[in-house]
Amino acid sequence: MSTVTAEQNVYAAQFSSIRDRLPGACLPWVERLRQEGMDDFLTLGFPTTKLENWKYTNVAPIRRIAFEPAIDHSLSSIPELDSYPSPRLVFVNGRLIPTCSTVDARLNFHLLTIGDALRDPERASIIKKHLGRYTNTSENAFAAWNTALFADGAYLEIPRGLTCEQPIHLVFIAAGENEPWACYPRNLIVAGEGSQITFVETFIGLKDIVYLTNTVTEIAAGPNSVIDYYKIERESCQGFHVGMINAHLDRDASLTSHSISFGGSLVRNDLNVSLDSEGAYCALNGLFVVDGQRLVDNHTRIDHLRPHASSRELYKGVLAGTAQGVFNGAIVVHEKAQKTDAVQHSKNLLLSKQAQINTKPQLEIRNNDVRCFHGATIGQMDTDAVFYLNSRGIDERTAKRILIRGFAAEIIDVVRVSSVREQLERQLDGWLQGVLEVS
Amino acid sequence: MLRIQNLSASIDGKPILRGLNLEVRAGEVHAIMGPNGSGKSTFAQVLAGRDIYKVVADELSFDGNDVLRMAPEIRARQGIFLAFQYPVEIPGVSNLYFLRAAVNAVRSHRGLPELDAIDFMSQAREQAKSLGIDDAMLKRSLNEGFSGGEKKRNEILQLKLLEPRLAILDESDSGLDIDALRVVADGINAMRSPDRAIIVVTHYQRLLNYVVPDHVHVLLGGRIVRSGGKDLARELEEKGYGWLEQEAMAS
Repeated sequence: MSTVTAEQNVYAAQFSSIRDRLPGACLPWVERLRQEGMDDFLTLGFPTTKLENWKYTNVAPIRRIAFEPAIDHSLSSIPELDSYPSPRLVFVNGRLIPTCSTVDARLNFHLLTIGDALRDPERASIIKKHLGRYTNTSENAFAAWNTALFADGAYLEIPRGLTCEQPIHLVFIAAGENEPWACYPRNLIVAGEGSQITFVETFIGLKDIVYLTNTVTEIAAGPNSVIDYYKIERESCQGFHVGMINAHLDRDASLTSHSISFGGSLVRNDLNVSLDSEGAYCALNGLFVVDGQRLVDNHTRIDHLRPHASSRELYKGVLAGTAQGVFNGAIVVHEKAQKTDAVQHSKNLLLSKQAQINTKPQLEIRNNDVRCFHGATIGQMDTDAVFYLNSRGIDERTAKRILIRGFAAEIIDVVRVSSVREQLERQLDGWLQGVLEVS
Repeated sequence: MLRIQNLSASIDGKPILRGLNLEVRAGEVHAIMGPNGSGKSTFAQVLAGRDIYKVVADELSFDGNDVLRMAPEIRARQGIFLAFQYPVEIPGVSNLYFLRAAVNAVRSHRGLPELDAIDFMSQAREQAKSLGIDDAMLKRSLNEGFSGGEKKRNEILQLKLLEPRLAILDESDSGLDIDALRVVADGINAMRSPDRAIIVVTHYQRLLNYVVPDHVHVLLGGRIVRSGGKDLARELEEKGYGWLEQEAMAS
């Protein structure tokens, strides 16, 4: 066991002082879960670049800051709230804002905060079955830290056979004083057999403040369920974001994930999908656009555990300035997973000589009856294409904008929620305007 | 309309065009012929403003304006158009979006209001129809997965929509079957007009049976070594370029 550092002790002390007031404090199993989380966090310590999984991402800027737990912050108004139509839960600094959240009592599924869900005896057994089950706290210090200290988040349970027509929005807003603060959203999505849902997690930084969002989302996809999942990360430029998604797919379940990162000074996304039954399918789409001195790291891992499961993955990065990007995509095909069909692509566009991308596909195949393919490309702006557009009267800057938008379109165009897609297009256009002005 | 005096171009220190002279007047169709490697495509690219070449000339003027240092987009807006030999594939950008951006760039330069998506669609559809381009092809990503013939027809569609004053067609006939060739040729012929000039760059005489030129020039070793009327093209078809190469070497 490593020595516990002063940096870690800050959070151990916070844990001791607030644990009695955290959701589920009266439930022994939650208590144990949190305690294990804190123990794992103290054992692991902050990851260093000596660890293979953190080789290119130095979390020292996070380690050096002693983040206080976020305090409640009231906002007079929240911009763009109309972009997130009902049903939605809105959290500010990790805490639910009931007045902005529009949950219809007539909903035929369960959408409530994780705290309320833990207090509800009717939900108890199902939460107990899933919460923490898909997150291995002994391998990831941030997930362990979240497990110990999570204070709020969303609980979404879709009963068997229900198709949810409306996308469900979970909006996490960072605002307000008392910085530097940290919040630890914890979301649990349980999709019953044959159910279908679309849900969107959006993380927005409203002010240029120093804060940390350390989030964990667990997804339990029942047999034959269909899940369309979006994570839109737009933290403010001094914000830190470390997020983990752990999805467990049952027989014939299908998960399509769209992870899109725009903001934050240091962003790390971990997406782990476990295809734990025959016929399960996941498609992981990712887009990260990074400029300035920012860093965005996407780590994905797909475990093919059973036969006849398939996965598709495409992550695209656009990097400008002295930005750094990381893509690490592990596909692990286990002994029993015959007839696995897995395809992975990482495509990256560098807009400046100083921008950097480290992309690493990682295939681990433990049986010989599989079809696996992976490929990675890193390129600059195609000068032939720029000239082609110029030769049609389109100026240099517009030509570049069109080409970068075209590059991103492969990810953005498959966003099925139109309000989200339009939002992303606006966001990308705004970003491009800034980036192309500098160059 | 186009005056070229002593035009030379090189890439990475390697000379390709070596003192080319040409004058093209409004209403004329010129054919530039020559064997592979004679500098035909370089000539076409240089006219459009490709900056990978080092270009010098005593004169390179279009409508009396010096275009030598003019950016390619400015040349395009002033009415110079190049149909590419190898149109670039651009994934994620729909053909229609691209066409409208191009047309609007040229329109706003001419002081005309920009066309919205709906107005443009109806215009593009009409022109596309005559070239056998359907809606599906208009909506696909620009040139991505287009066949050789589809790419060439799409270049002619741009020619029709942009209505340039000078059109340079670089090997618009290569790789086409006879039906596609006729469609392309009809498209070009429809654009012939007293205030527009066309330069057809081609390796083969075949296209010139359909698009009959007023002048034919032979480009060899980066220079125009012979000019003549439409019969010169037929002569080249029969005799090849060998006799001109020998003449050029002898002189």
